[in-house]
Amino acid sequence: MKRHRTSALILASPWILTFFLIWAFPLVYSFVIGLTNYRIFSPEQFDWVGWSNYKQLFSDQDFINALKNTFIFVIGTIPITTVISLAMALMVNRRFKGRELFRAGYFLPSVTSMVVVALIFTNLYQRGGYIAMLASMVGITPPEYGFLYSNATALYSIMAMDIWMSAGYFMLIFLAGLKSIPDELYESAEIAGASAWRRFRSITLPLLRPVAVYVLVINSIKSFQVFVEIFVMSKGKFETMTAVYFVYETGLTTGFESGYASAAAYVLFAIIAVFSIMLFAVMRQRRPVW
Amino acid sequence: MRRTLILSLALFAFTAGALQATTTIEWWQFWTDPSVKPVIQEMVKEFEAANPDIKVRLTDLTWSHGHEKIVVAFASNTGPDVVELGSDWIAQFADGGYLADMSESIAPDSNQFQGWGMATYKGTIWAQPWILGTRVLFYNRDLIQKAGLDKDFIPVNWPDLDRGCKAVNDLGKNVYGWGSNTPEKHRLYKKFLPFFWSAGAQIFTDDGELCVISSTYAIEALKFYQKLHDDYGYVADQRGIEDAFLDGKIGFIMSGDWLLKRMELENRKINLVTSVIPGPKFPGTSFLGGEFLAINAASEHKEAAMKFIKFMTSPVNQVRFCKANMSANPSSLEAQQDPYFTENPYLQTFIQQINLAKHPPVVPDWVYIEDIIERAVENTLFNGGLPASELRNAQIRITTLRRNEQK
Repeated sequence: MKRHRTSALILASPWILTFFLIWAFPLVYSFVIGLTNYRIFSPEQFDWVGWSNYKQLFSDQDFINALKNTFIFVIGTIPITTVISLAMALMVNRRFKGRELFRAGYFLPSVTSMVVVALIFTNLYQRGGYIAMLASMVGITPPEYGFLYSNATALYSIMAMDIWMSAGYFMLIFLAGLKSIPDELYESAEIAGASAWRRFRSITLPLLRPVAVYVLVINSIKSFQVFVEIFVMSKGKFETMTAVYFVYETGLTTGFESGYASAAAYVLFAIIAVFSIMLFAVMRQRRPVW
Repeated sequence: MRRTLILSLALFAFTAGALQATTTIEWWQFWTDPSVKPVIQEMVKEFEAANPDIKVRLTDLTWSHGHEKIVVAFASNTGPDVVELGSDWIAQFADGGYLADMSESIAPDSNQFQGWGMATYKGTIWAQPWILGTRVLFYNRDLIQKAGLDKDFIPVNWPDLDRGCKAVNDLGKNVYGWGSNTPEKHRLYKKFLPFFWSAGAQIFTDDGELCVISSTYAIEALKFYQKLHDDYGYVADQRGIEDAFLDGKIGFIMSGDWLLKRMELENRKINLVTSVIPGPKFPGTSFLGGEFLAINAASEHKEAAMKFIKFMTSPVNQVRFCKANMSANPSSLEAQQDPYFTENPYLQTFIQQINLAKHPPVVPDWVYIEDIIERAVENTLFNGGLPASELRNAQIRITTLRRNEQK
């Protein structure tokens, strides 16, 4: 028994080591430096500042704007992505000719590099680009210098791209959930005379709830951490500065203020944690929420 | 007998190796361009051949992440012996105590090179100027003539530039008078500051104590820059502006020597004219920056590093570098006299402009200050801000920043 335990420990040791070195240590270390005025430029000269980084963050207009934009991003993308991906999953779950083609087509954006997609969309959104031309054709005046160069449209344009890109991935997860629902349930409901809408409302939705929780939690964490799109498409300009981009700019570019950036990262961590817990709590309620 | 022979040979080899002990210096640099890198490697080989006791290990950096890599390396005591630094970074690294004082080693050469102002922080020289960089006015002669202006038209002052831009802009829907930059970080301020300085404005008072960025001169400069943007601007990032200019869609743009290189490499035929930046009066003042070579304060091979820097920045090697890179701005005054520069009117404009250019203040918090300036310009051009109030806000922010730094 003891030998088994030892060999189990030895076998698990690479993971344990990795966990402590790459996950646990940086996590604790960044919390500690979040309580200091540590800067990479002068690593030997720092003071403990307690919670003052946190206090300063909430009076820092740039950080408040970054949080506001992050919330807009999260609240704007998650419901739409979830609804679209569920609709796509329901569609490709039905039997029809060329179904695999649609499944692969919808999933394709998710396996494409975010940088590549962001560059393509940057071109599409530019002045005189295809999207501006389409907008003009339907009578909408596109922003003068392109969609990414206007406070009114930049963030929403990036959100639209994000929805397009992630819907396919979440469709696949919903599809897996739909496959796990026994056909017998639908058959008996049909025999009992339940309409398609009723079958969807009373069978599909309740049984998809665990999958939906997963989708919502994963998507909200991903959306709270939005970075690559911003980095490639707007560099945080035109009201697109998000919380992670703020952390990056503060900690790794302008002034290399690691202490302040770590505190900002922990604020974001707390927000994601609270948001996820709330989501779990809401979705675990017995009474259907939809 | 045989064993003795082998032992003797081994002992000889060991002793010879010890006598020939080499010093290896690590050099981090940014030039990865296929036309430049081989020349850099060739120069390194020549240096090693001339100095058999010194080897140079070359590491390439990228412009997108090189700065971060240098910062992290210095902070973790793994920085290279010699590092190429952009002019804006010198004060930051010097203030952090990462650079070796080069004042004594290069003071005798100081009248042979330009750009010392950018390498000097708190009275000490921290880097050797290598290749300088400035911006000049590029314009399309065909468009100017088409617009009815004289074929020898040169905008010598702002009213001229305004007239030229307007005439070209009036040519039609897809032709623009002026190439105006989007708010690209680390770029927009380099476009605005020539207008700012040309108007006679200053960021700080002469003693460096007070921020005076919202002076009436500064407001006039931002108003004129806004006019060019609003009335004649083709608005895009630098690459987009240059694309449109080379496609014959823009009359006037401000750019650097890299555009000449691009035209050469892509074989772009355009009826190009270059001239020094105009101001309200002739001449204006352009932006000056550059590439410098510095030594890590923690390097154990400072002497070898200095020898290498002197070799790389020698006039003859600067000319070789500039020819390979098609650059126009050697820091060496002797190199500037090479026929490669004097016989090419475009390159000559750059050499003239260096003497009519100014560099930003050499202060460690410059990265924050440039960000504040860029925001003021961005808000004015793109978000409906008023020049006077945006500059006033910028002045308050810079003053607060400096006060906090002093605490």
